[in-house]
Amino acid sequence: MVFSSVLFLFRFLPIFMICYYLAPGRVKNFILFLGSLVFYAWGEPVYVLLMLFSTLVDYCNGRLIEANRGKARAKVFLISSIVINLLVLCFFKYADLLVQAVNTLTGTGIPLLHLPLPIGISFYTFQTMSYTIDVYRGEAKVQKSILDFGVFVTMFPQLIAGPIVKYRDVEDRLHGRRPDILQISRGCRRFCVGLAKKVLLANNIGQLWAEISAMNFLEMSMLTAWLGVTAFAFQIYFDFSGYSDMAIGLGEMLGFHFPENFNHPYISASVTEFWRRWHISLGSWFREYVYIPLGGNRKGRPRQILNILIVWMLTGIWHGAGWNFLLWGLWFAVLLVLEKLFLGKLLSWLPRGIGILYTLFAVWLGWVLFSLDSPENILRFAGAMAGCGGVWDQKALFLGSEHMVLLCVAALAATPLPEGLAKRLEKSTTGMGMALYRLGEKVIPTALLLLSIAGIVEASYNPFLYFRF
Amino acid sequence: MGEKGNAAFTVAMLAAVILLFTVADFFAGDRLYSEAENRILASRPEFTLQGLFGGSFTSDYEEYVTDQFVGRDKWIAIKTMTEIALWKKEINGVYLGADGYLLEQHLPEQYTVSQEAKKTAMLGRLAQDWNAMVMLVPTADNVMRFRLPPNAPSYDQRRLLERASQMVDDSRYVDVYQALQGHAQEEIYYRTDHHWTSLGAYYGYLAWAEKTGKEPFPYQVTNMVTVSEDFLGTLHSRLNLDWRKDRIQYFRETDQQAVQVVYDLQTQKDSCYEPAYLETKNQYGFFLDDNHAFIEIHTENRNGESLFVLKDSYANCFIPLLLPHYEHIYVVDLRYFKGRLYGLMEQYGTRKEMDVLVLYNCVHFLEDFWYAE
Repeated sequence: MVFSSVLFLFRFLPIFMICYYLAPGRVKNFILFLGSLVFYAWGEPVYVLLMLFSTLVDYCNGRLIEANRGKARAKVFLISSIVINLLVLCFFKYADLLVQAVNTLTGTGIPLLHLPLPIGISFYTFQTMSYTIDVYRGEAKVQKSILDFGVFVTMFPQLIAGPIVKYRDVEDRLHGRRPDILQISRGCRRFCVGLAKKVLLANNIGQLWAEISAMNFLEMSMLTAWLGVTAFAFQIYFDFSGYSDMAIGLGEMLGFHFPENFNHPYISASVTEFWRRWHISLGSWFREYVYIPLGGNRKGRPRQILNILIVWMLTGIWHGAGWNFLLWGLWFAVLLVLEKLFLGKLLSWLPRGIGILYTLFAVWLGWVLFSLDSPENILRFAGAMAGCGGVWDQKALFLGSEHMVLLCVAALAATPLPEGLAKRLEKSTTGMGMALYRLGEKVIPTALLLLSIAGIVEASYNPFLYFRF
Repeated sequence: MGEKGNAAFTVAMLAAVILLFTVADFFAGDRLYSEAENRILASRPEFTLQGLFGGSFTSDYEEYVTDQFVGRDKWIAIKTMTEIALWKKEINGVYLGADGYLLEQHLPEQYTVSQEAKKTAMLGRLAQDWNAMVMLVPTADNVMRFRLPPNAPSYDQRRLLERASQMVDDSRYVDVYQALQGHAQEEIYYRTDHHWTSLGAYYGYLAWAEKTGKEPFPYQVTNMVTVSEDFLGTLHSRLNLDWRKDRIQYFRETDQQAVQVVYDLQTQKDSCYEPAYLETKNQYGFFLDDNHAFIEIHTENRNGESLFVLKDSYANCFIPLLLPHYEHIYVVDLRYFKGRLYGLMEQYGTRKEMDVLVLYNCVHFLEDFWYAE
């Protein structure tokens, strides 16, 4: 089930929330667990068992690590947890990619499995691994209640599209949390904003990309190509950050505090900064559980460069089992290394605007790799971006003028300006500013909700972009 | 109101929106068909375990819930209005043209040169074999280019017409494009529908009469009968917003002589017009009872002249203008006729004596014109 659907908003959400708020303290987790299973099983009636298996395995491993604390055997259970999670992930996500690679390299004809990817598997396996690793390191307490642990793994708000919540982020809230009305209100507003980002911005701008990506790249003008990749850049940002906002908002409604996942990535002045602002929970997961254990920057420059390459190849391939995602990761690895070596220093000397332009250029090229999966298409599209199909044509002018307002709204919404304005009004001491804030805080989310419902009911274009994650 | 009160108010408002529509949706009945969208809506899927585990039940159920959501048509209208507010110039394949004109979008890449070559070759053969007159009517976006949104891509039908005029002898090719071009500022197309109006058909008729050398009947443009002032056609259906309504008119003179109209060899009528359609959404059906595979029209002109028409729906408001010239008119809509065409035509007249007319709009011609000799 996805959040931006009639089914979620007008069936699941009201029924679940009523049960959840009416339930007494201890039962709340049970309701949340049950609700999450229904939520997941609706789209994945079979794979829900896989998720439960994963939950059970890591619950047991956590307990066993704790029971053997200080002994060598603790490490065995840690490794067991990591191996099982990675095996599950690799089998369902990367088996066909590996088989293909083997077939290509050796000329064998091993048949592909064609397994559909279980939704959210990359998110929940990463979450449960963070738990066993943290318990092993002594950074998180073991969870004795299987129910509370089950809630952590299966919790529907972040289950299918993140943020990747580390166990210790929510540890103290798994039990006996009490959302107050301020938190609930914050959560509701956040949810509406996220829904609007997804339905009103991402879906509408995504249609432009859908139209352009279906055109013949060989005859495409430069303007069309740039318009297309810009549309995709906004689509994926608003889609993904919209989902995160909805997840964080729902979390608040339930009494949790999830970590932020996006912080205006498109105003970054370097690729290094971009990755601190984009999909933050994934970046920090890899940093904490891969990059630093590999030695991070403590073992000399060459080793650091190697570590960056490894982490970013993994980051790339995490987004989908395809060579283009690997390339996408490598592209950023190269830029990050260059920035570490000299580019970063250079950029810090230059005006911020130039850094932003450079970053957008790099990220935009990255999106070409990310969104097109065959090398042929990537080259053709890059050719169009370079002007091989002419600079502009009538079609580009039409599409550009038709989407100009939407693009401007999207660009504005991608900056911190709207939030900055809201914050200033919230803090304002004049009667006027306060009144404006009080009004806006009610009217804007309501209007966004209503407009989003209209977008969802019309539903001509409402894709789920993370089926490959 | 304190901070908490404020927060509670916000939560209550948003929860009310969700709950209100949830409850309303619960009590709203299911609809079979959406007139606004012109399609059958999804109905409640049957529950089976197989469907559940195969995933088809859940996706069908989602589609059902979305299709049957309370106030669906209103929500869609809101969505369309937001799109217009965001400066969209094309919605569901319809351009929002100047002066309230909705213009169907025909993208250049949809129509290929080889498609044009194939269809015009077929046309040329028919014109040759039967000495047929050819009228290919451009669609509104071509005649009223100046009303298209700036830079809107649109298939230029002049390329097709050029080719058609080469395939057909000059004495048999009626240049409707030019005839309409001169009147582009007049109401020759409906604002909300993809058809031409009776006035547009009249200018086509004048060009036809000139080409065939027939004396045009003195129709009075200023004396047309208005049968509807609330027509919202097929293009409007794709938008479904409040829109300037169209007027449907016909030439008084076409209904002032005795005729016998036989639809599909069964139903017999004494007029080319069917007012019953004016009470439905499909008001253009007023002309020649919407679409039929085969229509015969017999007049009281005892001149022995017969005409055989191969056509699309554009001809429906055009054919009545031909009544003064013929004793018999036979009309075939090739979309519904799958037999051998020449055999059928020969039943009604010889190649020497019977007039033949092919009338299509350019787009329907490329999409639907097909016959087996």
